[in-house]
Amino acid sequence: MKDIKDIYILSIETSCDETSIAIVKNGNEVIALTILSQIDTHANFGGVVPEIASRMHTENITMVLEETLRKAKMKVSDCNAIAVTSTPGLLGSLLVGVEFAKVLSYVYDLPLIQVNHLIGHIYANKIGDKLKFPSLALIISGGHTELVKMTGDYEFEMLGETQDDAIGEAFDKVARVIGLKYPGGPNIEKLAKEGNNNYKLPKMANDESYNFSYSGLKSSVINLVNNEKNKGREINKADLACSFQITAVEELTRKLEKALIETKIKNVIIAGGVSANKYLREEIKKMCDKYDANLNLPEFIYCTDNAAMIGAAAYPLYLKKDFADLDLNAKSSSNIC
Amino acid sequence: MHLFIDTHLNDIAVILYQNGKMIKKEIIKNVKEHSRLLMPIIQKNINKNQLESIIVVNGPGSFTGVRLGVTVAKTLAYTLDIPIRTITSLECIALSTLEENKIVGFSDKNGYYIGIFDNDLNLIGDYAYLTNSEYEEYSKKYDVIYVEDLDYKKIIDYALKKKSINAHQVNPLYVKKINVEK
Repeated sequence: MKDIKDIYILSIETSCDETSIAIVKNGNEVIALTILSQIDTHANFGGVVPEIASRMHTENITMVLEETLRKAKMKVSDCNAIAVTSTPGLLGSLLVGVEFAKVLSYVYDLPLIQVNHLIGHIYANKIGDKLKFPSLALIISGGHTELVKMTGDYEFEMLGETQDDAIGEAFDKVARVIGLKYPGGPNIEKLAKEGNNNYKLPKMANDESYNFSYSGLKSSVINLVNNEKNKGREINKADLACSFQITAVEELTRKLEKALIETKIKNVIIAGGVSANKYLREEIKKMCDKYDANLNLPEFIYCTDNAAMIGAAAYPLYLKKDFADLDLNAKSSSNIC
Repeated sequence: MHLFIDTHLNDIAVILYQNGKMIKKEIIKNVKEHSRLLMPIIQKNINKNQLESIIVVNGPGSFTGVRLGVTVAKTLAYTLDIPIRTITSLECIALSTLEENKIVGFSDKNGYYIGIFDNDLNLIGDYAYLTNSEYEEYSKKYDVIYVEDLDYKKIIDYALKKKSINAHQVNPLYVKKINVEK
């Protein structure tokens, strides 16, 4: 029998405002990772400007490749496949990565693998081999709030999802209303540390499904801020940030707890940009400990958008020879199952 | 062999050029999904090992269209390690008209891209984008030339005499302002 060969995947992620390229070995070891964030540029506009994001990807992408190859001390031709995020995300931004990946696939005669960005966030846990099955995965980001059951590689069952706003969206909108700069999520987290839970916000959709709803909570914060303003009263921003964060996280924890009890699954994954929130991590960890469940968290650097997770998610597809053709297109929205 | 790529508006043009001759010429009109088609056309028609250089129309035009052509072209040039040159969509029109007057332009949905050239094809001033109402006024004073059928041979010969650019530095020319720039 032949020795099992190591597989190197060159992976590309441009779905939002990070231009990122990585080389990942066997789906679980990062050889090199470059992340070029555009956050400082977009902060000037109070949020990501899609057209500017696309422009910056085109400007920088060949340099990000060069930097990644330099760090890895490898050539593209040393890799076995090219993987790229093709959905979901900002269409113009995704397209730059997809076209770039197609050229690499063409020039180096390497198979092309399309990866779903959300599945990428889950597979960030493969780096360091922390992804165990069966697992409950909570995907929380600016565009998604989903609770998914995973029974194996690429075997997903949707338990519940947001019916309106995503949790990250609610964080960003609340941040804007109380006058915090972009990016809102991290700034709310910072401010909440200085505050106390003194504002009474309504409990969220009190149903017993696994679905979520964040627009009600968001609206009640906006109304509260406007009412206080009309009455000429100052709001305590730190207290409000604290109360909002506690209420938002409580609902996630409650639904996850229900899933842990009902499915008896003992592995939990949190994925997506909002999983970088430390308060949220602590609360979910406490709850998982109560049920002796393992909480798997990607390292901090793999929580936000990065190409390493795309390389990790591409590996099972490589083994299945699930390859894309050069007519691959980007798609702005999609779910994982 | 030289590869010419133009995706700046509704069409895709992919041309293979050698010794003053167009060896292959694929022009697809009114394309809806440029990104689905461009790489398959290149894959089908071109032997990458024979490519000597790339020429790309880097705008102005549809933002997404221009970005597609430029991203593909600069990545090809970078990975194949061959020279890349850019030519603008308005230079292409100016090269394709025999008129002395070289105020050239073309429209998108909301307005007109305009370029003014001297007889040696030097750009006078900057490229401009006029809204439809601005253009109406402008066209009362000046004759703006638009050429539908581009003279690709002349365009490619002209582009090949230009200096090549480091692939990293090849970028689209957008001209039209976006909301946050206004």
